[in-house]
Amino acid sequence: MTAPIGIEPLLAISHNTLVVACGVAAVGFAAGVIGCFGVLRKRALVGDAAAHATLVGVALAFLATGRRDLPVLLVGGFISGLVALGVLVLLKRCSRTRDDAATAIVLSVSFGLGITLVSGITARGIPGGAGLEQFLLGHTAALTTADAVLLAAVSAAAVLLLVVLLKEATLVAFDSSFAAATGWPVALIDYCLVMLVAVMVVAGLPAAGAVLVTALVVIPPVAARQWTDRVPTMLLLSGVFGVVSALCGVAVSAVVPRLATGPLVVLAAAFIFAVSFVVAPDRGWWARHRQRLAHQKQ
Amino acid sequence: MTTLSFFTDGGGMHAWAIATAAMVAAGCALVGTLLVVRRMSLVGDAISHAVLPGIVVAVLAGGRPGGLLVLVGAVAAALLTVWLTQLLRTEGGLAEDAGAGVTFTSLFALGVVMVTAAASRIDLDPACILHGVLELVPFDTLPILGVEVPRAFLTAVVVFVMLAVAALATWKLQVFTAFDAGAARAAGVPVAAVTTGLLVATALATVAGFEAVGAILVVAMLVVPAATAELLSRRLHRIAVLSILLGVAAAVIGYLAAWRCNTSAAGMIAVVLGVQYLACVLLTPDDGIVARLCNHGWFAWRVACEDRLAACWRAEETAARGDAVPTLVRPTVGDRLADGWLAITGRVARGPRGWMLTARGREQADTVVRSHRLWESWLGRHADLPLDHLHPPAEWIEHHLGAQVRRRIEAEVGMRTSDPHGRTIPPEP
Amino acid sequence: MHPPLGEPILEFHDVTVAYGRRPVLWNVDLTIDEPGLFGIIGPNGAGKSTLLKAALGLIPLAGGTITFFGRPFAEVRGRIGYVPQRETVDWDFPVSVSDVVLMGTYGRLGWFRRPGRRERDLAGESLARVGLADVAGRQIGKLSGGQQQRVFLARALAQQADVYVLDEPMAGVDARSQELIFGVLSELRDAGRLVVVVHHDLRTAAQWFDRVALIDMRLVAVGLTATVLTPENLERTYAGRLDLLDELGRAVEERGRTS
Repeated sequence: MTAPIGIEPLLAISHNTLVVACGVAAVGFAAGVIGCFGVLRKRALVGDAAAHATLVGVALAFLATGRRDLPVLLVGGFISGLVALGVLVLLKRCSRTRDDAATAIVLSVSFGLGITLVSGITARGIPGGAGLEQFLLGHTAALTTADAVLLAAVSAAAVLLLVVLLKEATLVAFDSSFAAATGWPVALIDYCLVMLVAVMVVAGLPAAGAVLVTALVVIPPVAARQWTDRVPTMLLLSGVFGVVSALCGVAVSAVVPRLATGPLVVLAAAFIFAVSFVVAPDRGWWARHRQRLAHQKQ
Repeated sequence: MTTLSFFTDGGGMHAWAIATAAMVAAGCALVGTLLVVRRMSLVGDAISHAVLPGIVVAVLAGGRPGGLLVLVGAVAAALLTVWLTQLLRTEGGLAEDAGAGVTFTSLFALGVVMVTAAASRIDLDPACILHGVLELVPFDTLPILGVEVPRAFLTAVVVFVMLAVAALATWKLQVFTAFDAGAARAAGVPVAAVTTGLLVATALATVAGFEAVGAILVVAMLVVPAATAELLSRRLHRIAVLSILLGVAAAVIGYLAAWRCNTSAAGMIAVVLGVQYLACVLLTPDDGIVARLCNHGWFAWRVACEDRLAACWRAEETAARGDAVPTLVRPTVGDRLADGWLAITGRVARGPRGWMLTARGREQADTVVRSHRLWESWLGRHADLPLDHLHPPAEWIEHHLGAQVRRRIEAEVGMRTSDPHGRTIPPEP
Repeated sequence: MHPPLGEPILEFHDVTVAYGRRPVLWNVDLTIDEPGLFGIIGPNGAGKSTLLKAALGLIPLAGGTITFFGRPFAEVRGRIGYVPQRETVDWDFPVSVSDVVLMGTYGRLGWFRRPGRRERDLAGESLARVGLADVAGRQIGKLSGGQQQRVFLARALAQQADVYVLDEPMAGVDARSQELIFGVLSELRDAGRLVVVVHHDLRTAAQWFDRVALIDMRLVAVGLTATVLTPENLERTYAGRLDLLDELGRAVEERGRTS
């Protein structure tokens, strides 16, 4: 019996969506895992500066090569993210400006530059330029299978590197002066961790967009922290939360195409966090509330 | 087109847009000064994102964009953000920046989803949220005294006036709290109220800026002019005034540049702000990077010259004692350059055995050697150092001692005229 | 511990340390050539911790050299155990007591290798020595101040070092923990190790240390405790800041002259 007309295209679409979902899930997992160390190091928002700066690199990559392939744009975004972080470090060291103001300056000015470029591209009607706006809030519907595979590969490599360096990263995150005094190259390890965050921020652009991708590396880790007092467990849980958030975002965005993916992913992550905040044993609000009541009774 | 026609075309649309941007910049710069000085830039960032759901809810509830209901909605959202961040810190053990990151991204995401979902009923669109629509501002007007005034401009003016009045009224309290919150609290200042007031002001400034430049670039208007002004002055009221001037200038230049380059005005304004900041980081006298490099270079040069003068002095002292002059270390390129400069400025002259000090040179060399030997005496007295360890520290400290300090050291170690090695200390010229 | 013949265990030679460009320690010359319990005493802000951190390479030197066993610190890191101040760490970090003590073994493990049976046994022994074997699995935030300090000490013990360097180990610690810690340090001294301690309390310093160095932005005096802790020396150290050094520090920082 021949298949009804239309099934084959449906199956093809379904296959692509599945691959894209896997790719985005991999990014969610890796972002959650790697974000843990940023949060533990109390540097949760360094990634935000890099994230807002990626727009400049994406636009420049498009202008330089005339191509809109994801790998090309992401490499551009990665370079501009690193440049922004470099500028941030220089500002902190060489100027009187306080750290938080320096982060806000780098973040907003680089974003402004990115908007200028993207808007200029759109206004001049350069073919293919209109799609750059999707990098602001994320749009997974346009991902191809090849893109998804690339994202999954990058995510896997990042997680692998982190797992290999787990004890070094934990040591430096916990007590950097002891690490330095016992011979570890703290600056190098720090640099690696920051690079990994930058990589994940860029990989997360299709899923969450430049404005909100920082949530992917911040919310799942803080949610996971509520549930456990051990780093390996925290990493795993954070990864799982990241996967769930990413998939929710992708799913809803597929059903309602005019909704950008980024905000949906963030809302899913926020929901997971809210639940963790209240319900987690020991650190959750409910548990603490009960402990306080028990104390008062005594 | 002539300059005048640029500003009067289309009902003066460019003029109105620039005026709106300038007004917004002024209000944001004023609030931003206090935010930056109190290390609350992050809070400014958070509030500018988090007011979105407040605005959306207000608009859905029937408020007009820029109207009172929207202002109230924004303030409510801002206060909610701050409260949530504090709650996460105290109840969840989250660090300040992590808590803020969770809160403002979630609220912003919520706002965007609400805007997109209610697209039919709301006049906002996500692009507007992210980078404003300054170019369209002149087309939504209200008649005021017969003139069509853009609504966004009105909002910006009203907000600015409110902020200016509040700032003038509470300036002393704000400054005190910014400088030392603990001391302010102890002195009876209602620090919590002052801070809440600042947060409310931030929310208002953000709303005024929303339509012009959008959520994220409002952060630029809040933080960058104030950070630039901080590099130029250390007095808070001057910083406030300077930041307003810088913000207004950036608004004007940015808009014009964007028009020339056919791109987003909001983005350009942020870029101009960034250029202002960078220029000050590099070029401020004293603190700027260029100034510091020059200072470093000049200092190294002064040290080189003084070292050569002191070397001459010692060589002449050794010769005068009748001892054999030790074989000098081969002079480096820097040494030779210093010698040349000293010769040109008349402090050394060519003699039979190399360079010799002139009267001027001797006077300056006396000072250097005096500083050196006085410091050796001081160290010998105050620190537990063996005799042969006194020379190296004195070698570099000699360049930093001034006349008054030398007299103090001399008074303290007694009016001896020889250092711990038994060598003569030259008197003060 | 077998230092090469004639080499002092720890030597500071004309050491000047600056924060940024501003010197805070001036020309310190200090040699320790015998094992024992050595105290570094001085008022707050005198540079005692700075001296220690400079020795461990945590702060760069603005002048002079520091050597352990006649060699630069980098070459002999494995022989130096470090107990930093408690404030350096976020005690809410999700690690347990035994996790922290295991970190003392990382130096010998090197890159990428995970701690194994031998390291865990060593960590267990170190914990037992400081009396914390029963709380090995607890998250570190749930310990008292004294217990936290003992965890740091256990971590340093797990380094199996020849020289131990401790930064204010008794600050904010209850009396019982102080006695316990001092007991462990005495055992180390009796086993032939050098234990250098930055300490803030004069009274206990007189009781505990064999030799002390008095520091107030420069070395005031060094030697046997009884010889050094005299009223004149204490006055020279504690009676008011040396304005001259402050002024000079500023002048150096600004690359200018004093008045």
